[in-house]
Amino acid sequence: MFFQRLFGITDKSYLNALSRAGSIGLHMVSGIAVGALMGYGIDQWLDTKPWGTGIFLIFGIIAGFKNVYLDTKRLVISQEEEDKNAGTPQKKNK
Amino acid sequence: MDQMHPLLFSQFFGFNESNKHLFYTWLAMAILFSVGLMLRGRMRLVPTGLQNLCEVVIGGLEDFTVATVGEQGRKIFGIICAIFLFILVMNIMGLVPGCDAPTANINTTAAMALTVFVYYNYVGLRRWGPGYIKHFMGPMLPLAPLMLPIELVSHCARPLSLTLRLFGNIRGEEIVLMLFFFMAPVFSTVPVYFLFFIAKSLQAFIFFMLTMIYLQGAMEHAH
Repeated sequence: MFFQRLFGITDKSYLNALSRAGSIGLHMVSGIAVGALMGYGIDQWLDTKPWGTGIFLIFGIIAGFKNVYLDTKRLVISQEEEDKNAGTPQKKNK
Repeated sequence: MDQMHPLLFSQFFGFNESNKHLFYTWLAMAILFSVGLMLRGRMRLVPTGLQNLCEVVIGGLEDFTVATVGEQGRKIFGIICAIFLFILVMNIMGLVPGCDAPTANINTTAAMALTVFVYYNYVGLRRWGPGYIKHFMGPMLPLAPLMLPIELVSHCARPLSLTLRLFGNIRGEEIVLMLFFFMAPVFSTVPVYFLFFIAKSLQAFIFFMLTMIYLQGAMEHAH
């Protein structure tokens, strides 16, 4: 089809890798943002001014890095499966 | 950018700038329901036309889900396929003149991300019962007090990143489309339409795939 030929966008491995890679960046940022927000909320609630924000910011940064690590692992695993499948002849999907 | 639209269909029905995305959400639902009802009456063994298209899209997604999640993916396939088609229709509605993408409003995307958040936690709780907390404990027990807040933050970050990714992409595309239209009306928007058609389909697919990954994480064994 037109799009298939022009962009290879319906090629499953390309689409898969693109969507996985495209989701990595914001996962890290949102982890840090949620950690900082939770810490700020706890500070407002319990009146422990600098501690909640600092501790939960560190938790958020760790969570963000953990998200990126897991996403990268999933990306590598899916690419390895694609490479393994690429050796066998596959039917043309039309 | 809202007030620069020359004409929106929602104006005929008495919707204003602050609630027009509701009208377009209902319009997307009406499109999907009418396609479903149209196809239900005349299913054929050898598909043609619209049935062929729907079978290619839904069959491809089901194969992808089963290949990633396994056989238990068929149980959750209904809701994630509905999410994909709903977001796809809403995104592409932004490219139709006179319509606006409901996903360009942060309330729509936040509602869907929270639905996904509640649903995958519900699936995990129903499957594992109280043992679902093991998913939040990390690999080994001595580290559990440290891992619990980290996992909590990491899980709460999921709806935020789902919300902001979809909203930011679609909103940004709407703004860029409007700027291109100002630079050279009609002529310059045609090539951008092809690019944005692909970007919007990709965003719907990313939402679908992340929902699937979260559901998979809730259904499989903890670490």
